[in-house]
Amino acid sequence: MAEKEKMKYGSLNRFVQAVTGLFLLFFLGVHLYVAHIDFGHPVAFFSSVINQLHNPWWLGFFLIFVYIITYHGVNGLNHIIADTSISEKAKRNIGIALMVIYVITIIYGTILALLVAKMTVPS
Amino acid sequence: MADEYEFEIKRKDESGKVYYSTYKVPKDKISTVLEGLLYIKENLDQSLSFRYSCRMEICGSCGMEIDGKPRMACSTIVEDLKKDHIKIEPLKHYKVIRDLVVDIDPFFDKYREVKPYIIRDDDGKYDKELPQTPEQFHEYANFAMCIKCGLCMAACPIEGSDPNYLGPAPLAAAWRYIADNRDQGAKYRVEVVDGEEGTSRCHFAGECTEVCPKGVDPSFAIQKLRRTALKIEIASIFGGR
Amino acid sequence: MVEVNKEMKEGITAWAKFYKKGMGYFAFAFHRLSGLVILFYLYLHYTVLSNLLRGQATYNAIVKSITYGPYDSFLVLDFLLALVIFYHGANGVRLALNEFGIGMYHHKALFITFEIIAMVLLGLFDYYALQFVGVGF
Repeated sequence: MAEKEKMKYGSLNRFVQAVTGLFLLFFLGVHLYVAHIDFGHPVAFFSSVINQLHNPWWLGFFLIFVYIITYHGVNGLNHIIADTSISEKAKRNIGIALMVIYVITIIYGTILALLVAKMTVPS
Repeated sequence: MADEYEFEIKRKDESGKVYYSTYKVPKDKISTVLEGLLYIKENLDQSLSFRYSCRMEICGSCGMEIDGKPRMACSTIVEDLKKDHIKIEPLKHYKVIRDLVVDIDPFFDKYREVKPYIIRDDDGKYDKELPQTPEQFHEYANFAMCIKCGLCMAACPIEGSDPNYLGPAPLAAAWRYIADNRDQGAKYRVEVVDGEEGTSRCHFAGECTEVCPKGVDPSFAIQKLRRTALKIEIASIFGGR
Repeated sequence: MVEVNKEMKEGITAWAKFYKKGMGYFAFAFHRLSGLVILFYLYLHYTVLSNLLRGQATYNAIVKSITYGPYDSFLVLDFLLALVIFYHGANGVRLALNEFGIGMYHHKALFITFEIIAMVLLGLFDYYALQFVGVGF
């Protein structure tokens, strides 16, 4: 009888990439609409951004948006690198480096959003 | 209109030198590219090397890059190319041994990796036949038409950047067996078909399906294979296999 | 695993050579290219947004310069970015549906349909976005 092989999760990775992509349709659609079509004053974006982030729902929206879009982008880049013929070790190291970049980005994005949310519009 | 076709063929000699040779082949002597190559070998240049066997698109031997696309030389009608100057090169993504002859051993090695045979948990010890309805047969019949010509491997963009990728033909073969109701071996093929060089590397470019001479549709097989692998992965996370 | 032979490789940009290939290859190559462009823009966007911390005057000056001048040529890049985003999204929907097993038999028709829808939406977006920055019609 053939031996059972070890489990791998390549398909799950691609499935999550597809699901995050679908979520991004919603997030990006809302963001593009709000920022470029129905945002308010056309030039003074600062006040619009600050006022929007004072709303905890919008703050939560943008935080989740940053987490998902950064994951989708960095994972996509990882797929492109995986399709090259560099060594397995190099692919693993680059994968780890991209994971680190992702974590740093979402930490930075979270801190930035929270700091901006605490700001006030000068009168 | 000229009375001759001009075959420009990429050659490689025993020293490894790569060069192009051009031959004029009378139009009234040939209809397929393979006939053109045989005419050249018999009348113009006996040193030209290429593979062929059945001459009827069954053996899979005569795959080559004809006018920029992987095709079978025996079934490519020269007139259908609609040009008098035909460029012929060996298949991409394979090591060239000589002229139009490529090393297909790595392709067969990958084929063997997916365990292309019926696997059963009962080790073949069963006391009655394994029934299969026509509907069950049609689930995999198309994918059993593969003649292992390797054209899909030459067309795949991922094979071009990473030759370690299993490729369309082996993965389609894996699906052919997994889709067969007599087979119980999906769980034994998971590591290979879903590993680093497996289905997750396919991005559905579909070029393998475009070039397949037997209409096997490997890209479709890989998508089906990925869904099956996903179900196995999710089941394994929740404890089942 | 099979030993890699250098002669077998076409190079790391093999995926971008869509000339004389089918529609699916074109879709895949542009999906990758658009993804790379969007990822590059994403980090550029994070960098620009970081200027929010420098206060209203600085941030508004940056936005004004790339919208009204002297760097308003960035608007052209913005429109190309929108094209790239809409293309990537439309093709991504097709690929995501494939992951769910939907539309696997009609992927070419789906590609054309989704891209047409995306280009129509892009046209609407560009029209309203231009109005938003004060360019009337």
